[in-house]
Amino acid sequence: MIFPRDATRRTDHKAASETFYDVVVVGSGISGAIIAEQLSQAGKRVLVLEAAADEDRSLKGYEGFLSRFYAAASKDNQSPYPHNPNAPMPRSTDARRIWPGQPDSSAYLVQNGPFSSDTTYTRVLGGTTMHWEAKTPRMLPQDFHLRTMFGLGQDWPLTYDDLSPYYVQAERELGVSADVEHQSYLGATFDPGYVFPMHELPLSYLDKVVAKGVDGTFVELDGEQFELSVRAFPQARNGVPNAAYDNGKGYVPVGAVNTHQVEEGERCQGNNNCVPLCPVQAKYHAGKTLAKALQDGRVDLLTRTVASKVLVDPATGRVDGIEVKVYQDPESPQHTTMIMRGQIFVLAANAIENPRLMLASGLSGSSGLMGRNLMDHAYLLSWALLPEMAGTFRGTNCTGGIVDLRAGSFRRQQAAFAVDIHNDGWGWATGAPYSDLVDLVDQQNLFGAELRRALPDRISRQLLLALMIDVLPNESNRVTVDPAYTDQLGNMRPVISYTVPEYTMRGVAYARQFARQVFQRLGAADHTAYDPTDGAYLTYEGEGYVIRGGNHLAGTHMMGTNSRNSVVDAQQRSWDHPNLYLVGGGSMPTIGTSNVTLTMAALCYRSAERIIAQLQDELSARLQTPAPTELPMPTVVAAS
Amino acid sequence: MTGPRQLDGSRRLEDFLAFSAEATAFTVFELRGTGQSQAYLNTCDGIVGTEVTDCLLDRYDAARSAVVASESTLPELLRRDILSDPQLGPVARNIAKMWFVGVWYELPRAWTEAFGAREGNATFVVSTQSYTEGLLWPAIGANPPGAKAPGFGSWAHPPRIPVFP
Repeated sequence: MIFPRDATRRTDHKAASETFYDVVVVGSGISGAIIAEQLSQAGKRVLVLEAAADEDRSLKGYEGFLSRFYAAASKDNQSPYPHNPNAPMPRSTDARRIWPGQPDSSAYLVQNGPFSSDTTYTRVLGGTTMHWEAKTPRMLPQDFHLRTMFGLGQDWPLTYDDLSPYYVQAERELGVSADVEHQSYLGATFDPGYVFPMHELPLSYLDKVVAKGVDGTFVELDGEQFELSVRAFPQARNGVPNAAYDNGKGYVPVGAVNTHQVEEGERCQGNNNCVPLCPVQAKYHAGKTLAKALQDGRVDLLTRTVASKVLVDPATGRVDGIEVKVYQDPESPQHTTMIMRGQIFVLAANAIENPRLMLASGLSGSSGLMGRNLMDHAYLLSWALLPEMAGTFRGTNCTGGIVDLRAGSFRRQQAAFAVDIHNDGWGWATGAPYSDLVDLVDQQNLFGAELRRALPDRISRQLLLALMIDVLPNESNRVTVDPAYTDQLGNMRPVISYTVPEYTMRGVAYARQFARQVFQRLGAADHTAYDPTDGAYLTYEGEGYVIRGGNHLAGTHMMGTNSRNSVVDAQQRSWDHPNLYLVGGGSMPTIGTSNVTLTMAALCYRSAERIIAQLQDELSARLQTPAPTELPMPTVVAAS
Repeated sequence: MTGPRQLDGSRRLEDFLAFSAEATAFTVFELRGTGQSQAYLNTCDGIVGTEVTDCLLDRYDAARSAVVASESTLPELLRRDILSDPQLGPVARNIAKMWFVGVWYELPRAWTEAFGAREGNATFVVSTQSYTEGLLWPAIGANPPGAKAPGFGSWAHPPRIPVFP
């Protein structure tokens, strides 16, 4: 699949503004790309609006990201992506300590605190899937019913079984490498005979070193015994296709979308750089789905087009159009304001940008929940030196982990968690291996041969456990806007208020004990130290911790059973605006211990079906009752 | 300081490589193989000035000559004459770090206060190639993240970290 040349120039802003599309989608990340691709397949005309300044997903452009990464002194998860004052994005390096009553507005996210989050998302063509790590666990059946089971959070208006067929679709599109036998745990089930598109990626040698100490260990929580093991994570990354996939039809991986696959991109090569950019596109990114969506000419894509207002007809509540600000030069505030129109509108700009746009449009919704219940997994890092050389810094960023404490009755008391074994050493916690080199040279005064010997001794024995801890919805954790804070184009910036809930902190405290126990088993020297001056330093029951953001943003336009307890319905359709869908992580009522992207993708396949049905329903209704002359008819194109 | 070195660019580079081999314990042959020799010498010259670089190379030369008749080892002489020198020590350490990760690290404040601020003295990656040619990665049996991929599944095997005597 090759990204069609000049796809971003297929239409221009004037022509698009004069077209009445079946569907207008805001955002070219995974949610927008999947919906555009599904609607295009159904013969619908779609316009995708992207705020970033990217052009086609060209090889030159992709390699430009890579060069930018190579040359960046700070190799954080946004380092490959250019700064764009007209579509700014948060960077983990932005986070500052927040003092009570003094919001930190020094970077794009205005942080009200009290907790200072270093969460990020990427505003480029393809969205945050450009920098994501591509771990794709499904949510567990228990995760959908936390309210009923434990009186916590919100139940989903869906069950695991409802979502299961859409998980299958998402796993196909993302190209998931995993083995069913290792993913059938804690109630997760698969259809008989189901296999993932590709076999699971091999565990790293480091994983195996950890497994030697951990496998077969039992821990007791809330009277329940859990047997631990290290197992491979499902990953949206090309491995070895499973010949048994799709009843023996097999699976063809999608490699790089801008060059011949033989040249680049088919199978993961172990670059150890999933975040922030896979150099060979073995990792799924939404450009792959966009490339498909753009094949047949029914999808138009406009870049440098920032959605600035959702326009609603006050009489019907229907969305009339999306006001956009179109710019040429990312450095210049000069822009033209236009309106894009269609039958149905989809906001797929992520769990912070979706509510930001709605609130900036004056649409706080009848439930009052727009922007509330912001969630992001709390990551607790724990790091140690193994007694043996484990060859750290090889493989994908993470191949295996411990997931046996993702569900259980203990969840009535404390948050569940999943544990990543990081193949990239202490990097996330300490800046390793750079920080190790600097320390060995500047502080330990090692030079020459002594330095050479010390480097593997310090680096190749590193073990970092990233404990990803559940966060429940809390209405005061929220995104708002404030006209005092705007970006270069005059769009209001997101204002974040956030506290790590006590339920999560109980999980954090247990997770730290758990990590200590793993280190004790392995005879590994615990080097974990949480810096009290870090903006993300928190204390709980006398112990200090630093909590990192997971970039798994969710909850801000939560789905539910009615317009009082939620913003969207189970199809991600707005309760207030019948032709508006808010899609993505924002729709998730809880996040459990599952990285959110696969679930977002599954929800979007489900919504695409509903949008297609709604278009047909509205078309039939029009055909039966003469359409008012001022309303243009949707374009009807035969499905191919 | 010393005229001949300034006049003869190739001899300067040779001396820089010889010192760099001492600093990193990689051979001159391996250092040349990175293609970064001239770029690193230029970076050092560009930030601290050729006079300081030359002074460092002269001290290294002198230490090499002196070691023959000395009871000290070369590393001991280097610690005494270069690494503990307030001006040359931080520069020598920066040269070592540059070879390992391709980064020029901002000199410490004590250095700039004593010897004057230098234009361009910030932490930066010398070039895209200097990142991928960093010697830290082969020293730990790994690839620079995002480049020189070792191949599918290679990570499942025990590491092959070069044994260093």
